[in-house]
Amino acid sequence: MLVKSKAVKFFLVLVFVLAVSSASFAAEKIIKIGTIFPHTGPAAVSGQNCVAAVETAVEFINNKYDWEGFPLAQKEGLLDGYKIVLVNADHQGKPDIAKSEAERLYEEEGVFAIIGCYNSSSSKPASAVAERLEKIFMCGASSSAELTERGFNYFFRTAATDAIESAEFGEYIEHLNKEKGTNLTTLGLIYENSEFGKHAADEGKKVAAKMGINVVADIPFTVGATNMDSEIQTLKAANPDVVFGAALGGDYSLMVRTMKQSNWASKIFINYCTGYQNPAINKELGADSSYYMGGMGYSPEIAEVYMKAALPAQEIYRAKTGFPLDSDSIQETVCLHVLAQAIEKAGVLNTEKVVEILRTETFDSPLSLSGKVAFAPGGQNSKAFTVITQLLDLKYRTVFPASYADSELIYPFPAWDKR
Amino acid sequence: MNDKNGSFMKSKRRLIDNILWIGLIAVLAALIFIPGAIGKSTHTHVLVLVLLYASMAQSWNILGGYCGQISFGHSVFFGLGAYGAGMAMVTYGSMPWLGILAGAIIAAVTSVLLGWPCFKLRGHYFAIATFAIVEIFGRVFLIWDWIGGALGLDYPIIKDSWSYFLWSSNKTGYYTGALVLFVFIFGVVRYIESRKLGYYMRAVKEGQETAESLGVNSTKVKLTAMALSAFLAALCGAFFAQYNYRVDPPMVMSLDMSMKFVLITILGGMGTFWGPFLGAAVLIPLQEYTRTSLAFLGPGVDQMVYGLLIIFMMVRQPKGIMGFLAEFGILGRNEKKEATGDDAS
Amino acid sequence: MDFFVQVLIDGLMNGAIYGLVAAGLSLIWGVMDVINFAHGEFLMVAMYTCYWIGMLVGLDPLFSWVLTGAFLFFLSAGSYKFIVRRSIGKAAMAPLLATFGLSIFLKNFCLNRFTPNFRLLSGTSLEGKVTHIFGAIVSQPKLVTAIFSLVMLCVLHYMIKKTRIGRAIQATAMDREAAELMGVDTERIFTLVFGIGGMCVGIAGGFMTSYLAVFPEVGALFSLIAFVVVALGGFGSIPGALCAALLIGLVESFAGFYIAPVMKYVAVFALYLAVVLVRPKGLFGW
Repeated sequence: MLVKSKAVKFFLVLVFVLAVSSASFAAEKIIKIGTIFPHTGPAAVSGQNCVAAVETAVEFINNKYDWEGFPLAQKEGLLDGYKIVLVNADHQGKPDIAKSEAERLYEEEGVFAIIGCYNSSSSKPASAVAERLEKIFMCGASSSAELTERGFNYFFRTAATDAIESAEFGEYIEHLNKEKGTNLTTLGLIYENSEFGKHAADEGKKVAAKMGINVVADIPFTVGATNMDSEIQTLKAANPDVVFGAALGGDYSLMVRTMKQSNWASKIFINYCTGYQNPAINKELGADSSYYMGGMGYSPEIAEVYMKAALPAQEIYRAKTGFPLDSDSIQETVCLHVLAQAIEKAGVLNTEKVVEILRTETFDSPLSLSGKVAFAPGGQNSKAFTVITQLLDLKYRTVFPASYADSELIYPFPAWDKR
Repeated sequence: MNDKNGSFMKSKRRLIDNILWIGLIAVLAALIFIPGAIGKSTHTHVLVLVLLYASMAQSWNILGGYCGQISFGHSVFFGLGAYGAGMAMVTYGSMPWLGILAGAIIAAVTSVLLGWPCFKLRGHYFAIATFAIVEIFGRVFLIWDWIGGALGLDYPIIKDSWSYFLWSSNKTGYYTGALVLFVFIFGVVRYIESRKLGYYMRAVKEGQETAESLGVNSTKVKLTAMALSAFLAALCGAFFAQYNYRVDPPMVMSLDMSMKFVLITILGGMGTFWGPFLGAAVLIPLQEYTRTSLAFLGPGVDQMVYGLLIIFMMVRQPKGIMGFLAEFGILGRNEKKEATGDDAS
Repeated sequence: MDFFVQVLIDGLMNGAIYGLVAAGLSLIWGVMDVINFAHGEFLMVAMYTCYWIGMLVGLDPLFSWVLTGAFLFFLSAGSYKFIVRRSIGKAAMAPLLATFGLSIFLKNFCLNRFTPNFRLLSGTSLEGKVTHIFGAIVSQPKLVTAIFSLVMLCVLHYMIKKTRIGRAIQATAMDREAAELMGVDTERIFTLVFGIGGMCVGIAGGFMTSYLAVFPEVGALFSLIAFVVVALGGFGSIPGALCAALLIGLVESFAGFYIAPVMKYVAVFALYLAVVLVRPKGLFGW
């Protein structure tokens, strides 16, 4: 009997919650923006950071801050007093849910635009929905170059793609070979076997082929692997000079620890936008995170020098998450910031007008390394670029390109047992 | 209960079932013609999913429910169907129909090839073997470049049409398609339920040795059920790909997806005609609506509720919703009472 | 040659760890014919427990495994009492689905409470230490975990074969009604078996925290491998589970190195299928 009444109560509560939450509130001047990120599932860490990053943008757009040279911060709201309201959705890392959430947000919630989806595999079907409905889809950190090669009209991505990153990695290797006589001739690739990792690796291989670098190890691994012994042993056996890595979160820390255990490291180890960029993971890894390198569009250290305007925004984000902004999630902040500027310039909430402005104009973006955002046909941010950093004692030291560099590369990667 | 009375009850039940079944189809079909009932909305999306998952569960029910072979491998067949449609649309740029048919046939053949050795295994050994198969297929598909590997297959953006079975402006087409699929699969089950195959399958479930001794070729029955089940699951997979504009291995060939087949059927009532529909009708809306309505409580709360509901159902009434209904004497005899009566004797 | 030894040792170590993770599952399966689908999540909970003990109290995993083992004993026994016992015997697969529901709940509960962050316990006494064996480099935390796994499995085997309570468990597994007639309280035995099953995975999780990051999804692949280990060994057989686990560790390691790393789990599952088709009840099943 007790069980029964408990169960009844449980369902009553459930029904009540459903009823209350479906009653929507009516405010006057609001712009609804949807976000779709993985709040749960394997990519939940990054997804939750992305949500916090978008909320950061909402904070400085809706409220008044006296930040110098920061568009929209000094003004309260948008247009004549419109406030941005977020409608957040969770895609759990599943493309089918991302797709149906996109439909729901556009058609039920009536959002003006969606920002999402972190996982490239989820961004693809979700943005296809947007394109079909002729609605704006802003994409922050999904790195698959393919996304902007589809010729979409309503799709805009602020982050650098894996193609851009790979090209820069290649340039850097050439630079090292020429200037420092490092003679780096072989490449290994280790990447998670997913849309993101596979695409990054394919771009890496293209660059290697162009430069005449031998790919001696091509190692996709299972996401959430129980161990990475064979992966690292294979890498060790091939012993490439350079490794490009694409591993997220837990896999990244497992990879670093397994490398340490096997007492092996390539001369340089460069990561795509991955676990390397996540300050929380590096903090857990401690000293072991040092000497790894990666392409980044933002780091707190770069911000100190080149992007001072971004620092107050970082504090808002830090208050939400306890960590400084990272190179992935900041792109989501940029997304909303640029979109808001486009709406402001358009003067009306009209998708076609805003899209026109997004396509043609160049935006000031204090949160981007280049300070500007402009979209090429297909939606790629043509001003996006990354710098190559090296981690030392939990500080990102910029080593390339020369114009941004603040430190010399520590070369080669010091042997684990001689530290 | 004497025989005559029993058979009378049975035919009466069948009559009620038939009326309910035809009524359900009529109501669902009528929705298409009521303006505003079916369109772009989330409710339509949920309806489409209910029909799709009910169909998937029913296809699983043929093998798992009626024939008693609990398979965790159905996402493989589901995936083959999805890839059939995806390859036709994306790789060959043609209409999906031939691909769907090819996918479904390949799924049926694969199921026989896999089922033939696996049926030697009993109980949990069979279950574990089938999910090992899912893991193998999922991982091999991830590295198989011809079918798109880890990158998956993304549908091009083309005009809405029946010939490509692709819509974006509204969901009426998908709803109609899902309804056709639903009626077809449930119709197939309804048909075989009262045919020889249906009785053979239930005989095999009750006891393979007994069934054999009565002259039922149990291997043949199981393989037939498996092939049919896989063929129908593949059709559902094709629909899934068409609906989501994308296929990749984790989407379709995962243990997660396999569990959906099993879960919905068992929660609804395994081995019953209505079970898969009831399971989907409860679980899918719950899953879709709580994801948005409970989001304010923090990440994962909707799935916690989902998990608790499963626990609650299995603890309270492992025969599923059909079991609940039987407790109240709706839709079927009160089997529980009979069963307890048997136990006591 | 160096690599051969390295791959061999890695395989054996991983295998031994799989063995301890799978032992509890095997016991539960063998005695009660129930698949505990929340097994991987129990592992995850154990790792979180160990992590938090390490963070808050500063206790090293080398010692805190006692606590995680005890905690998991009660968690597991409790989930038997409140969930499995009520669903068992009523319909096929009901306990399996009930524990599946439990696994979804636990995973999302931990995600909700502890955030999905990847947590590594740092500053443990063995952290980063390595031993050299025949030219192979062996991580000490992993080696200790592996050796301890073997010891635990031996203890477990001894307990089941030689002690009174172990005989009661065996009797219950063979014939529940006969055991009851002999005065065995089978309900208590079942609770105990579930508790011991949880304890094994709790101890394994406690040790694994010293080298593996903890996050809500960490148990997923481990539980799949544990299922395969148990089915390959033949259920209820602890030596079977150990042999199967070592075999799987070796296959994973060798296939990973000599074929391709991405094939390592494919090889594991394929091996399982191949064996079980020849021996339908596993290597040690009958």
